[in-house]
Amino acid sequence: MAEGGSDEFSGRLGLIFATIGAAIGTGNIWRFPRMVGANGGGSFLVPWLIFLFLWSVPLIIAEFALGKRSRTGTVGTFRIFAGKRFAWMGLWTAWISTAIGFYYAVVTGWCINYFQTAIRGGLGSEVDTVEVWNSFLQNPMEVVFFQAIAVAITMLAIWKGAKAIEKVNVSLMISLFVLLFAALFLAFVMDLEDGSLDGFVYMFSIQPEYLAQPETWINGLSQSAWSCSAGMGMAITYSVYMRKDEDTTLNAATMCLANNSISIIAGLTVMMAVFAVVDDPLAAVSGGSSAITFLVLPEVFAQAPGGPVVQLAMVTMFFLALSFAALTSMISTVELCVRNFVDHGIERPQAVGFTSLAIFFFGLPSAVTWILVDDSTGVAFPQFLEVQDHIWGYGLMFSGLFIAYSIWKYGWNRYRAWQEENDISGFSLRDYLDNGVSSFRDDFINTGDNDWWIGKWWDYIMYLGFPLMFSVLILSYFADMLANVDNPWDPTNANGISIILLFWGITAGLFIGLNRFIIINRIVPTSGNPWPLALLSGNFTLEPRPLYRNVPEGAEVPIDTLPGGEDPFIVEVGEDLPETFVDDYGETRPHTGSIIEAEIGYSYDQV
Amino acid sequence: MASSNSSSASDEVYRARRIPAVALILPLLLSVAAPIAMVTPVSAQDVESGLAPEDIWSDDYVNQIFPWAHESNDQLQFRSYHDYFSMKDRMQFLADRNPNFLEYHEGLLGGVNARGDEMTATEYEGWYYNHRSPWMKITANVGDGEYNEFNGDNGNYADRPDIMLVGNHHAREWMSFEVPMFFLEQLTYYYGMAGIDNDGDGLIDEDGWDGVDNDGDCLSLNASAQDSNGDGIACGPGDLGVDEDFSEQFITDMVNTREIYLIPMLNTDGVRYDMEEYCGPTAWENCYRSGWRKNLRDNTVTGVTPLPDIDEEVDSSCDGVDLNRNYQYEWGAPLGATGPLFPGACYSSGPNNDVYNGPVNYEDNDGDGLINEDHVDGSDDDADGQIDEDWLGGNSEPETKFIQDMTEMNDDDGDGASEFKATLSWHSFSELVLWPWGHCTDCDNPDQEFLEYHGNIMGDMTEYTALQSSDLYPTTGDFCDWHYGVHNSYCYTMEIGNAFHEYPEDIAHIAVRNVGVPWYMVEIADDPRYRAVVGIENTTGTQWIDMPSDVMVPSKGDIPIGMCLDSTFPFTSDINRTHLMWRLVEPTRQQDDFGPTEWISVSWSMSEFIEKDESCILLDGSNGTRIVSHIPLPDTAVGKIQYKAMLGTTNGAFPFTYPDSDTANYYELSIPYRAPFGSGILALLMFTFIATMVWGGLGFTLRAMFDDEGGVIGLPDDQSHLIDEEDL
Repeated sequence: MAEGGSDEFSGRLGLIFATIGAAIGTGNIWRFPRMVGANGGGSFLVPWLIFLFLWSVPLIIAEFALGKRSRTGTVGTFRIFAGKRFAWMGLWTAWISTAIGFYYAVVTGWCINYFQTAIRGGLGSEVDTVEVWNSFLQNPMEVVFFQAIAVAITMLAIWKGAKAIEKVNVSLMISLFVLLFAALFLAFVMDLEDGSLDGFVYMFSIQPEYLAQPETWINGLSQSAWSCSAGMGMAITYSVYMRKDEDTTLNAATMCLANNSISIIAGLTVMMAVFAVVDDPLAAVSGGSSAITFLVLPEVFAQAPGGPVVQLAMVTMFFLALSFAALTSMISTVELCVRNFVDHGIERPQAVGFTSLAIFFFGLPSAVTWILVDDSTGVAFPQFLEVQDHIWGYGLMFSGLFIAYSIWKYGWNRYRAWQEENDISGFSLRDYLDNGVSSFRDDFINTGDNDWWIGKWWDYIMYLGFPLMFSVLILSYFADMLANVDNPWDPTNANGISIILLFWGITAGLFIGLNRFIIINRIVPTSGNPWPLALLSGNFTLEPRPLYRNVPEGAEVPIDTLPGGEDPFIVEVGEDLPETFVDDYGETRPHTGSIIEAEIGYSYDQV
Repeated sequence: MASSNSSSASDEVYRARRIPAVALILPLLLSVAAPIAMVTPVSAQDVESGLAPEDIWSDDYVNQIFPWAHESNDQLQFRSYHDYFSMKDRMQFLADRNPNFLEYHEGLLGGVNARGDEMTATEYEGWYYNHRSPWMKITANVGDGEYNEFNGDNGNYADRPDIMLVGNHHAREWMSFEVPMFFLEQLTYYYGMAGIDNDGDGLIDEDGWDGVDNDGDCLSLNASAQDSNGDGIACGPGDLGVDEDFSEQFITDMVNTREIYLIPMLNTDGVRYDMEEYCGPTAWENCYRSGWRKNLRDNTVTGVTPLPDIDEEVDSSCDGVDLNRNYQYEWGAPLGATGPLFPGACYSSGPNNDVYNGPVNYEDNDGDGLINEDHVDGSDDDADGQIDEDWLGGNSEPETKFIQDMTEMNDDDGDGASEFKATLSWHSFSELVLWPWGHCTDCDNPDQEFLEYHGNIMGDMTEYTALQSSDLYPTTGDFCDWHYGVHNSYCYTMEIGNAFHEYPEDIAHIAVRNVGVPWYMVEIADDPRYRAVVGIENTTGTQWIDMPSDVMVPSKGDIPIGMCLDSTFPFTSDINRTHLMWRLVEPTRQQDDFGPTEWISVSWSMSEFIEKDESCILLDGSNGTRIVSHIPLPDTAVGKIQYKAMLGTTNGAFPFTYPDSDTANYYELSIPYRAPFGSGILALLMFTFIATMVWGGLGFTLRAMFDDEGGVIGLPDDQSHLIDEEDL
């Protein structure tokens, strides 16, 4: 750390495993089979595969490129790439991920609980899975206990930084592969036993009428977008720990393909097992939400061939795999948040502890409040958690949009700079295409370190395809609510549109408003009052908030040309902060940062 | 579904393999069975198990000997026909013996009728034989009550509902005066009695009029004895053991609380002519399904009323008026109805003379100087404030005037309206129950479903077909259109039996089969509309729609949802009134990940119900009719069908819903995916493709990642120098 206090993955595989671990989550294992069932089996795989290359891979490439250059978390990345005034976009990205993390920890807790129930034989063929589920969900102590375990495991995994994250991810991911393959084998035997392998057949049969329905394509897109965590900022965060010569393009493709590979394995496992056992498999698979995972699958696995031992093994393996998938995603979520604190000068242990506690406490309402029972099925569900998902799930789309915006903005700035250099005035599309649109790709993607040269197609996707796909997703989401939700505009309707727009509006408004006071600057009380009082009395000034970049040895690349890169208070870890700054009134004033700098240096020395 | 298919397929394979094995052991089986085979002839009689009629009933009942006369009296035992005279004598005899509830009359006394015309008693006499139609006033204490000066009858009580029962508008329809006479005999004999074991089986009042063998005695007979009337229906109406032990108390109650006006033979002229001249006393031999229909008005020779020529062809004769075309409501119109081409016109050799409806009325009926300006149709055609005051024709005959004046002058409570809220007219033949309208086709009236309700009940009682009159064929100026149209009376026409002149040995069982109908009419005469309303409501409670668990979802194609309807329910198959409402609710494809299943909201679709030739058991245990609606659903659909039935009556006044909205708004039926899942080979191809793209792609990228020699994927030639330089 003496060399500058940077933190990095040990190697390429470490990064790959970390990102794959982040990408592979419960979505691969319970959302994907449901989508396959609901969208016509093989028909769904077509858009799902197409959008892998149209959405996920390009966006992850962008994220890697952004993070690798900025060497900061999401807030810093947007501060550098989109400019000071847009640093709040990074906070939005971080917030969405963290807000999802609040309830995702609860869900991870469910998975862990189901694993321990399974291994203790509590999910045998004789149990009523609805009963198991309801009694668990309606017992707040249990839910909170396992939520706490999920948070604790996550906290331990990221406490020590990138290398620890890497180790945990590698072992969890390899276990996940092994477990899933074993489960797949058993499911294959099950489906084969009834003579038809119909689960396999359905999953890979294209039903043409589904291909003609827009919903199939929208679902393929959304599944592709969520499953790879594209746009979530995860890849930005992990790329902070890239070595200097790390590839940004092939890694993105590898990560996404690995994610989809797991989806297929998990999907096949679920489909074959369900089709082998359930009378009306499609209704069971597409029936909705988490039901298939916690209600149908235990029942299905309990009927696996080979007797109680195999059945126990199967259900245990499945839920262990599910827990691992959830945990690795949880790790990336917390790390994303922690990284932003560390960027701004908070000690890592503090940041980890604070974030973990916040995730635990803000997750509590999702865990225990508003547990309802579905009238028609008698299955309990967490309404509060559901509303959280409803509100923040699609916020992810905007994170993706902001990433695209950074790229557009960089391209435009470069075009204007080129115009100035060559003394050209007046807009020319040809010039813009050559000297603006492609500049991000030229400058940050095709850097020479990558194993995969990215062509113009990426520009088209980022400039044209992405806004189009984004609009389709958001509009179809709202259209679906308009069509199928009663009173969608009633703000008290937890499933409505208004509640989403309200929360998005408040959050975005707050972040934009705080941008100047909290994110890029910080408040320094001028009187002796503690700062809440100082804030109220107006006795404060603003000074630039320092941002510390995690630049590994030899990876120093200038960032001056970036929209927010000229800020003297963006420094590499270990660098000295300027002692003065020029305030809004043009006055040069001393910065209090040197004190903090000293603290940081001290803490890293301890590590 | 797929599994059930495969299992049935394997059954077939299984069976195919078993056949040789069965063939091998067949001789063995036969040898074992041989002793049994020898026993069979002995026990064959056991196959036709059941009792003989003599085992159950009294000898009298078995031989259909009625208690009101000696068994040797053929006429009173309904083994031979009455004629005008014997009928009249019998009526007078009964009235003499039972003055407390029977009062005999002929025609009306006359006076100023409801239209202001001065009428004399002779104006009700038949044109030729000059009889006035005999009739019986039946009510308890008939000598008391108000006296009606015009009609001449006593026993008018304002609080007793009145009912008019009319037989024989058409001369040759002999059963139409036998049934009223049978009714009269029965009424007279049993009035005041209580609890008689009519059939001698030791039980009392165990099987009343409803067309069903309630006590199961007929059903316990051996099969050959179950259809005693030979109509092909075992233990149906008219068979021994069906409706054989009615309640005498009911008869007594009815006589005590109703005023019954029984006119067994309206067309006395026609009957005498048919019986004495046209066909003769044994008309069933030469006129089984023909004979003289009309009265004996002389249309061809003015001033004289000759007996129509015996040799005259019925259809080419203009003599006589069809009394059941001579009532005034919508008389003569529309022209499409069966009747002469022009109202009041009768040509020699012209068409439809057999239904000649009488002359056009050229009088200025209301004395306003205009003629025929307000025809009888229930509306004020000339807008002068009076309704139907100057008619086009009709009621020109003594017989129809008799009915008209009896109806219009019978106003016990003095409110100006006829007392007859229920009316019945007997005809033959065709085994039908008919109700208004007759004058227009595809036209509903405000009481449609109520008329239909009672009609259906009487149809069930007799196993006769119940339908609106004009559905048979349109008629104008008939008794029931006039009674319903002008006097708002629930009026039914019974078409008895299968011939005009039934064989004498059939009289009794046909009469037995039909006697429940007048009793039913008498009963509902108090308020037929209200009784229908209540009755329909009661039947709706016994009807049901298939529960989801009872629906058989076929392995492919439409999904049938059935209902069990009471046969008296005035059901209409019009899809706008009766239909299955259904919708397929599917999970939304954009489910939230953690909540309950969300469903796409869809609007309801309608599909029509079709009547099936199947019976079903209503909730009260009686037999109902099954109707089925088919939900068109592709085999690929998965989800839940929500369904409910909207059941409308013939004029749609009652949208009854099933299931009853008190218990559930609709039923929900899970529909599994029924189509094939796909082709194995194509799926394998698709799998190969996806696996190549995803797993192969992953392998490719991983290899490229660790293959430092491999260079950069997709690097354009013109860019390669950049990489090289930097690498160097």
